[in-house]
Amino acid sequence: MMPLWTKSGKKHAVTLLKVQDCHVLKYISKEESGGKRAQLLVGGKNASPFYKSESETEIFREAGVPRKQKVSMFNVTDDAILKPGTPLYAAHFRPGQFVDVTAKTIGKGFQGVMKRWGFKGQPASHGQTKTHRRPGAISTNKASKVYRGKKMPGKMGNIYRTSHGLKVWRINTKHDIIYVNGSVPGHTNCLVKVRDSKLPTYRDFNKNPPFPTYFADGDEELPEDLYDEEVFQFTEPSVTY
Amino acid sequence: RVSSDGKPTKFQPPPKPVIVSKQKQRDERRFLSPEFIPPRGRTDPLKYYMERKDMIQRRKVFNIPEFYVGSILAVTTADPYANDKVNRFVGICIQRGGKGLGATFILRNVIEDQGVEICYELYSPRIQAIEVLKLEKRLDDNLMYLRDALPEYSTFDMNMKPVSLSDHEEVPVNKLQVRMKPKPWSKRWERPKFNIKGIKFELPEEKMKAAQKWSKPWLEFDMMREYDTSKIEEKIWKEVSEALRK
Repeated sequence: MMPLWTKSGKKHAVTLLKVQDCHVLKYISKEESGGKRAQLLVGGKNASPFYKSESETEIFREAGVPRKQKVSMFNVTDDAILKPGTPLYAAHFRPGQFVDVTAKTIGKGFQGVMKRWGFKGQPASHGQTKTHRRPGAISTNKASKVYRGKKMPGKMGNIYRTSHGLKVWRINTKHDIIYVNGSVPGHTNCLVKVRDSKLPTYRDFNKNPPFPTYFADGDEELPEDLYDEEVFQFTEPSVTY
Repeated sequence: RVSSDGKPTKFQPPPKPVIVSKQKQRDERRFLSPEFIPPRGRTDPLKYYMERKDMIQRRKVFNIPEFYVGSILAVTTADPYANDKVNRFVGICIQRGGKGLGATFILRNVIEDQGVEICYELYSPRIQAIEVLKLEKRLDDNLMYLRDALPEYSTFDMNMKPVSLSDHEEVPVNKLQVRMKPKPWSKRWERPKFNIKGIKFELPEEKMKAAQKWSKPWLEFDMMREYDTSKIEEKIWKEVSEALRK
């Protein structure tokens, strides 16, 4: 995470996400998946091809791509279908777009009710016998049962969570890095799924994105760094009012 | 020649000239700002490389001078609510924290009997100028104890004239021992955890001996805490000096 300043002098905290060897793996049609839209399987970050079963390596072999560490599914409209094997780059996103980032949260192991659900616990003194971090009562007398989903101690973290509506401030095309506003779930160097935002406020925000994606061998030559209009670039002189 | 008691003086050969080449002087005086050195951790070095590129870019446009904890600086920032839209503050640097673009330094001064500390970000675009009025080092890396010292040690004139260094060889170390206000202090500065050399403790002997009870003499031998930055510094120094020379 890094600070980023806007032209008005305000500071924002920014997370760097690297797009490492992303390829489209497979196209699943609407009828096959049984849903409303077609799906594209996308894989990221190369991993070792050994010690894996035949069925898993089959998908990568057919696409002509080394085995990937993370495989995720994207629902796409019919005009955005890509051929399996096309590489995906950070320039697929442009500064000013809004993005949802999904990842597995940091695993905390088996945790008690105070850390996991934020219960208040009991006082440290004034006669409490062996009860300082316990949940207390778990149900009422009339119910005479414990409801399903009662908040109790258990394994915390290591589940998929999404941060919605994060603004993309800057894109580095040389190293394929996306600078995304705010924090993102997961530990440092973890694998993350980045998608266009589904929030209703940002539905009409993506003006002319590269559609269906940015092709590196295409005609357009992008500069090394793409900035949003409000970002203060370090080549400019200091901000004055 | 005849000396004062009438005998001829022995021939004294002239002292041999000491030739110190300017190149060697400049090499010896290299200073790498501490925020360039990456902290220990499992982050990808690519992240530090990207940050360093931004930091070098900012240094090409705006001059960030060399300074240490204990030097007196004057910082002018852009302020939308001031009359002239600029705000000038003079103070002694008591702490340099943070790594990368978020590096900060705290300046302390006493204005009209009120102690004021301001934390500035080195790479913030609102800073218009940083001047070093007096470049010097102190015995400690962290001068937070000036909060509990007598206010005369933290007062500096707002219209102070810059003091230029005559020798461009070594940064002078001010071995000043500061006198403190009576206890209680904000932190127990006599404890060996802080390892402060710049205070003249006027506490009785038993209190100083009792403070040594909290000493941890095994810490300096702890191999897991070692972080040798010499090689990393060399590489980063080469990278930064080449980029700034262009």
